[in-house]
Amino acid sequence: MEKRVREAIRYLGFGRNAVDDQTLAMISDSFKELEQAASLKSIYRIFDFRQINDTEMMAGSLKIKSRNLGKNLRGCSDVIFFGATLGTGVDALLRRYTITDMAKTVVLQACAAAMLEEYCDMCQKKIGEKLRKEEKYLRPRFSPGYGDFAIEYQKSLIRMLDCAKTIGLTMTDSCMMTPTKSVTAVIGVSTAEEKCHIKGCEVCEKKDCIYRRDTL
Amino acid sequence: MIRERLGKELLFFDGGMGTLLQEEGLLPGELPESWNITHPEIIQSIHRKYIEAGSDIILTNTFGANALKFHDDTLSLKAIVQTAVSHVHAAAKEAACGRRIYTALDIGPTGKLLKPMGDLDFETAYEAFKEVMLYGSEAGADVIHIETMSDTYELKAAVLAAKENTALPVFVTTIFDERGKLLTGADVPSVAALLEGLRVDALGINCGMGPRQMLPVLDALLKYTSLPVIVKPNAGLPKQKDGVTYYDVAPEAFADTMEQIVKKGAAAVGGCCGTTPEHIRAMAERCGGIPVKAAEKKVFTVVSSYGQAVFLEEGSKIIGERINPTGKKKFKQALKDHDLDYILKEGIMQQDKGAHILDVNVGLPDIDEPAMMKEVVESLQSVTSLPLQIDTVDTEALETALRIYNGKAMVNSVSGKQESMDQVFPLIAKYGGVVIGLALDENGIPQDAEGRVQIARKIIDEAAKYGIEKKDIVIDALAMTVSSEPEGAKVTLETLRRLRQELRVHTVLGVSNISFGLPSRPVINAAFYTMAMQNGLSAGIINPASEDMMKSWYAYHALMNLDVNCERFIEKYAAADTKPSVLAAASHDMTLQTAIEKGLKEEANTIAARLVMTEEPLSVINEYMIPALNNVGKGFEKGAVFLPQLLMSAEAAKSAFAVLKEKIAEKGGSQEKKEKIVLATVKGDIHDIGKNIVKVLLENYSFEVIDLGKDVPPEKIVKTVCEENIRLAGLSALMTTTVVSMEATIQELRKKAPACKVMVGGAVLNQEYADMIGADFYGKDAMQSVYYAQSVFEKK
Repeated sequence: MEKRVREAIRYLGFGRNAVDDQTLAMISDSFKELEQAASLKSIYRIFDFRQINDTEMMAGSLKIKSRNLGKNLRGCSDVIFFGATLGTGVDALLRRYTITDMAKTVVLQACAAAMLEEYCDMCQKKIGEKLRKEEKYLRPRFSPGYGDFAIEYQKSLIRMLDCAKTIGLTMTDSCMMTPTKSVTAVIGVSTAEEKCHIKGCEVCEKKDCIYRRDTL
Repeated sequence: MIRERLGKELLFFDGGMGTLLQEEGLLPGELPESWNITHPEIIQSIHRKYIEAGSDIILTNTFGANALKFHDDTLSLKAIVQTAVSHVHAAAKEAACGRRIYTALDIGPTGKLLKPMGDLDFETAYEAFKEVMLYGSEAGADVIHIETMSDTYELKAAVLAAKENTALPVFVTTIFDERGKLLTGADVPSVAALLEGLRVDALGINCGMGPRQMLPVLDALLKYTSLPVIVKPNAGLPKQKDGVTYYDVAPEAFADTMEQIVKKGAAAVGGCCGTTPEHIRAMAERCGGIPVKAAEKKVFTVVSSYGQAVFLEEGSKIIGERINPTGKKKFKQALKDHDLDYILKEGIMQQDKGAHILDVNVGLPDIDEPAMMKEVVESLQSVTSLPLQIDTVDTEALETALRIYNGKAMVNSVSGKQESMDQVFPLIAKYGGVVIGLALDENGIPQDAEGRVQIARKIIDEAAKYGIEKKDIVIDALAMTVSSEPEGAKVTLETLRRLRQELRVHTVLGVSNISFGLPSRPVINAAFYTMAMQNGLSAGIINPASEDMMKSWYAYHALMNLDVNCERFIEKYAAADTKPSVLAAASHDMTLQTAIEKGLKEEANTIAARLVMTEEPLSVINEYMIPALNNVGKGFEKGAVFLPQLLMSAEAAKSAFAVLKEKIAEKGGSQEKKEKIVLATVKGDIHDIGKNIVKVLLENYSFEVIDLGKDVPPEKIVKTVCEENIRLAGLSALMTTTVVSMEATIQELRKKAPACKVMVGGAVLNQEYADMIGADFYGKDAMQSVYYAQSVFEKK
């Protein structure tokens, strides 16, 4: 089974349970429709990074306060600000199915999330390969809203990446990204390679979550 | 004066501003426009360098100067814009180059997405642009230059603001990507159709790519537009080094490609990000003296939406007629009940069946048609990218719709009556559109083809007085009922033929009118449809859900070699020969209960239809449906059934309910009075999937849901709760940032409607949080909300 299909199943809350054929067929149709509707775009920029103390740091001209991010970026010399989106077509597709079929909408939503993660992983891999030549290594992505890294930093990331112009990613007054299937993140860059990263799901303290990746 | 020179002689724009300011010390995050006040000499000197390099048109330093983007407590927007204009004036005077220098007021995007994709209102965007344009025009700008746009809707707001508030020429350039699309999905022909309809003076491409990458997009633009074309590339694709973005196409290489661009047919050229006075100098030296290719007049008849353009050309297009209350009881009821979902479903259904354009008619005697039209057009455009045909006799409704429509609409209709033309043509001239001209006038409908052709001529001539070209007119040859007019069909067919051959104008028909009063209407309709296409019908207004009509359409295109290798036909009908009907597939052993439990939508519908032939609808509900829903609900709670399965069952039940409802209505019985529940996703929140899941389930448990949608202000929720005497309201919020509005809504409800219970749900909520904001109930999943609703109304 493809990784993105497994991820979609996890987002749908199946946990360790077997998925039925009908849902599986819907997942496969959904990915096909998403391939048509999505217009994947991403952008990144590298900024100097300096840690002031455990909770404060400077990324380029931006001052960030967050203990969790600080921990994630400890020892980094640079940071990458990263933005990615599936585009407005996916939102239109979701709105369309909301009118006619909520089961399909829910499955599409999960598949879109999986597709976005897959795309971000691919982008990050490419950036990583490029920097590896300079003997620099990437840390896992860390997004505003993770832990105590306030969601409001999304605004600064979007501005510093000029996301509206470059990839069409904007933010509403209440810090929601539009298109909704979008990501902003900070990626640390260091000269030392760390072998064992804890990333994504596993960083989270909520261990009884039904959506948790099965690693415990 | 620039209008006279544009397109006749090559004009040069300036190049980048941002990169030059950074070199002068502009910090990241600092607003470049603030330098108009803080560093006037630097801004003037950059303008001057461009003038000396050969630029004829200088953009003011106002790209981000609009109320939505520019926030500075110490500097006023007015001062920023006015000094920006004066800097260009001063630089021109100082340079004294002997050429006329034009000051172009630079208008960039707001940086926000408009509804329905984002949260910005069309009129708010309009007001923001209007403010800047008034300042700029007062200060003496010569041109309004709207650039770097990636959303057709924002573009339309900006162009309307320019046209309605100034008399200045309007230039527009957008960012296309390497696939030739805007970020919001529009392709080159749809952008060109929109902008030509709005009558801008020039259009083109800027930013996003270097000159080489722009060549294919330029070719497409030149193919579709009759207007002068502007090209302003970046100095290549952006690259990064040591955290700094840079562009590396050197002035000479830049000039090389720009020469090619001018020779292809660009009328005005300049540079965008990364270009410098050296780039402009090299380009002006290389291209100066090259004659501008006169833009070729294009005669495409094209309508568009935010995502696609539809051309009337060879073959016949399908205009879906189902969004229209005439003769449709259910549709009328939906309009009265403000049931938008019903209307949207009709739209989506027609798209799935193969419609190319959707006719939209919401006229009913007791309805606020302009308001309803606006709402329906906006909602349809949020779920379909098919172009719409605005169908109304209410001029106010027409103007309202044309204003907020995202694209170049089709309009149904104008007639040969002077009064009708006086009312409709000014709107087409202002907003753009392709208008249907009915071949009738003050004297009624001519009995013969000659009379109808004459009226068509009159309509075309009158339209020309408004600058509306023949390509933007489609004549309705009028299908008359053949049962009362024996020659009617023949006259209509002759009219079609002559309109296409003699007048070279496109044609349309409301095809099914032909069969009124006859039995087996589909037989006559389908035959006449084929004959009409054969005689030159460019677009038929038909019901795409009619199998007979669609068979005619597919067969005609296959027979006339308008369907390469009959591919479309084969795709459509090859499977039909082997596919067993659902009725047969829904084996007689399967019960309705099983179909619902397994989430089989079509089977549930078919079995329900079979059951109501012998059983009472109510007993079907009690015996099969409720047990099925209960089983699935319990399974979900136990963790044996998962969300997609729960919802598939819900959709299956819904499709069975639809059959029962119809049966009950048929028998003249009224359904039991349902308890009403208000659902809303709170203000600021645009993620409504959770709320929609709850809605489907509540409806299956016989509650009537008043769905207020997403981003709903507290006042609206409170108002509805009070007016409808609601006992239970459900609120959803996804993020911590929007739970605040949830709390505010609850507080308002407590004050104004203390009897109303409030249930809440959403990703960030938990019991503790729900208690803290004063909710009565926290639903951890959708089934919990159903159980709570049942307990509130003591239904269990």
